[in-house]
Amino acid sequence: MKTFVCIKRVPDTSEAEVKVDATGKDVDSSRFSFDINEADNYAVEEAILIKEAMGGTVQVVCIGPKDADVMIRMALAKGGDSAMRIEDPRINLIDPLKVAKVLAATLKDQECNLVLTGCMANDDGSMAVGVALAEELGVSHAAMVKKVEILDESKIKVHRELEGGLLEVVELALPAVLTIQTGINEPRYAPIRGIRQAQKKELKVLSLDDIGLAEDEVNEASSLIELDKFYIPEVVSTAEVIEGEPEEKGVIMAEKLVKGGLL
Amino acid sequence: MGDIFVLAEHRRGELREITLEMLSKAAEVAQQTGGNLVSVLIGSGIDSFAEQLTGYSDKVLYIDDPLFADFNAEKYQKVLAELLKQYKPDLFMIGQTVQGVDFAPALAVEMKMPYLTDLVDLAFADGKFKLVRQYYQGKVNADFTFKAEPPYMVTIREACFEIAEPSKKGAVEKIDSPLKEDIEYRRFIEYIEAEVGDVDITQSEILVAVGRGIREEKNMEMVLELANTIKADLCGTRAATDAGWLPHDRQVGTSGKAVKPKLYIAIGISGAFQHLAGMKASKTIVAINKDKDAPIFTVADYAIVDDLFKVLPKLTEKLKELVG
Amino acid sequence: MNTEMQSFIKKYDLLGCIQCGRCTGGCPVTVRTNLNVRRFVYDAKTIDEDTLDELARLPEIWDCTACNTCAVRCPKGLKPVEVLIGLRNILVESGVIQPTVRDALESVFREGNPWEKPRAMRSDWMEGLEVKIAEPGEKVENLVFVCCTNAYDPKVQVSAKNLVKILNKAGVDYGFIGDDESCCASEVHNLGEEGLFEMMVEDNTELLNSYDAKRIVTISPHCYSTLKNQHPDLNAEVIHYTHLLKELFEAGKIELTREFSGRIVYHDPCFLGKQNNVYEEPRFILNQIPGAEIVEFERNRERSLCCEGGGGKMWVESESTKERLADTRVKDAKELGASILAVACPFCVLTLDDSVKAKGFEEEMRVAEILELLGEIME
Repeated sequence: MKTFVCIKRVPDTSEAEVKVDATGKDVDSSRFSFDINEADNYAVEEAILIKEAMGGTVQVVCIGPKDADVMIRMALAKGGDSAMRIEDPRINLIDPLKVAKVLAATLKDQECNLVLTGCMANDDGSMAVGVALAEELGVSHAAMVKKVEILDESKIKVHRELEGGLLEVVELALPAVLTIQTGINEPRYAPIRGIRQAQKKELKVLSLDDIGLAEDEVNEASSLIELDKFYIPEVVSTAEVIEGEPEEKGVIMAEKLVKGGLL
Repeated sequence: MGDIFVLAEHRRGELREITLEMLSKAAEVAQQTGGNLVSVLIGSGIDSFAEQLTGYSDKVLYIDDPLFADFNAEKYQKVLAELLKQYKPDLFMIGQTVQGVDFAPALAVEMKMPYLTDLVDLAFADGKFKLVRQYYQGKVNADFTFKAEPPYMVTIREACFEIAEPSKKGAVEKIDSPLKEDIEYRRFIEYIEAEVGDVDITQSEILVAVGRGIREEKNMEMVLELANTIKADLCGTRAATDAGWLPHDRQVGTSGKAVKPKLYIAIGISGAFQHLAGMKASKTIVAINKDKDAPIFTVADYAIVDDLFKVLPKLTEKLKELVG
Repeated sequence: MNTEMQSFIKKYDLLGCIQCGRCTGGCPVTVRTNLNVRRFVYDAKTIDEDTLDELARLPEIWDCTACNTCAVRCPKGLKPVEVLIGLRNILVESGVIQPTVRDALESVFREGNPWEKPRAMRSDWMEGLEVKIAEPGEKVENLVFVCCTNAYDPKVQVSAKNLVKILNKAGVDYGFIGDDESCCASEVHNLGEEGLFEMMVEDNTELLNSYDAKRIVTISPHCYSTLKNQHPDLNAEVIHYTHLLKELFEAGKIELTREFSGRIVYHDPCFLGKQNNVYEEPRFILNQIPGAEIVEFERNRERSLCCEGGGGKMWVESESTKERLADTRVKDAKELGASILAVACPFCVLTLDDSVKAKGFEEEMRVAEILELLGEIME
């Protein structure tokens, strides 16, 4: 099984204060710490598990700057065989369809049975790249996969996790792109010694020219979406204090839970 | 001109809420564009949905065909591509749901359509659609517009727009499925119910958590009642599991489990650092504690600073009434 | 026998063990777990690599708190605790470790602390205080090393805050590092991630040497022990804050003005006491408190009962259902009629405080770090 895993480098903003920068079209990332996108980490683990079960190779693909090499090496340390990192300032990264185009161009000349990627990036939440990539490659796909079963070299069975935990079982022809849901497995740890040893594995750095894409296919001018500005939403996330007599508070909270669709 | 199409989402005999949420918002936008609001319903033997949609749309385009007895992303993509080519609406709205994300991006690539996802707001003004989405898990908003000519496609975030009262009297137009043959490279096999029994709280959607404030094991009963009412799983702090009120695999914290439910109700939990680390990724946090300085309130979305023994019974009672 | 096995045996000098059993005899967790460290030393040298892997997967190797009682007691100068850590290392290198351990280690690598908190927030505790920040290259007498737990955990931040107040009042020449401070990696070593530990030792040595500091003052005994004993290339002398405070008291630089009434019992932290023989300085300080009655546990000094906070226990729960050692300790404190259980380690604060709550003793006693107490009495 020749598997490719596409990973993204994202900031951890769960506790960080996010500020819009001077251009108004980006955020000030100077104090962010970056790491592999959570769902992509699960995808890496799934790819390695598939390799351990049935043999084959795992290649890691990442669009990102040199700083992404650390997390790429971690994926290689866990069992990846080689990696490709695409870096080109001309790519309009805010457009998931352009990201998918770049990944497709990178993969189209590779022998590829299975492509895994996380179902959602924690920074933009688009949930679009994986499925768009499948369309670009002209292969089958399934999104939000919670379990992968390789039936034979031509087809697989996957479980998609629907809202409420219901699972939808789908059979797909290979090659296929799967977007992987968190919790599908328990990602292993990549020890530092392992990461050091992974330095020996190949990490190719590619530009648009190397993957045969013209600037006007993926740059900002060619995108069909246009960003006006970033801004901080007005609602500040501090706790909404429920008021009233103790018993009233219970009633009010129940109503909020139901009406707010929180259940 | 200015027509808005909305894809109705349904599953196993239920029209999903996102459908009416989208139609309610789309009605506003259609007023701004001056176009028609059309529901697109694809399925097999779901006439009742078509009826229901007439209250929210000017027209219901209904494809009723056994090919669509179960959802199949590839089939939906093929059908919708044909509909878009034929009807050319200005805007096509789909839910940012497990179903929607499985085909919408592919459709956007196939049709080379401008595509924006997970919108939390949209409007039509000055001859343009104005779209709002978020980044960094809700910490930043972003305003977008589309380039090139319509049709455009957007996906809409769930539970974002209020469902309005039905006020339209649309007509149902049954049309033949443009797709005539089954698809082999993707087949629906079956549904599998969510597992009951052994609970892995790291995968739970709704959690009710208890801490020291519960005081004694016998008080777990009223907590259990709440959990059962809202189909939540139980978990707790180290104090609660140490005290034996819950098994150890229900402990949330740095030496226990890390959970990320969409709803976390913390009862009698002060919010020690090690516990917060295990649950702060929860989407919505409700905290009940009589100490206003309890650290749990620094991560809570809803704060009930009061005696849990007085609040809890009424909370459960009202929830029973509303949820059934 | 392959080279892996040979190096394991050689590394921990397993052939030197005479199986006397003093290690297991003194091991505090044997009362509540299956851990028999003497057996591990024996088994680890007489079998093959596969069985070594099997040993590494036994849950009881995670019961060890790295208190080092076994190493202190061994008549042959061996460190049985290191065998257990070596077994943990086998698991770590395979990548298959408990998710909580994985998360803590990844957090140290990424954020410089095991608590999954952003590095950028490491000095947030300093807000509202006048804290002197040291500059690399500039001379500073006392470079203070805060500790990740003291920096990030609201329950113990009071230690760092009060130390600042004391240092300011006493006019001490000091400096803090700020956001560049990274985990001492004591627990990284104890969890078995040797590669990461070596990297942290190298980076921290370079960072700390970049300051022209005479002494490094640590607040946590874990930082103290690891910086002092496992960083051979560090230029500065490493001391614990109790050393510094004793100096200040003796020089009359600290005045404790408020009366205090209550019985205080001091719990010797393993990493300060039995591992580094620092017993008298904390007691000296407590004895400066006017009106305080200081009592001793029966198990004091080198016989202190480990609170089970160290050795990675903050991230790994034992499978044992028997009474936690910390619970035993607070029961002992209650029996002594102590209203304050004084400690000098943030892990002791957290574990003992949990026990006070679990046992429902909040009305009668509380756990307090020495710095916390001093802060209350100095105001």
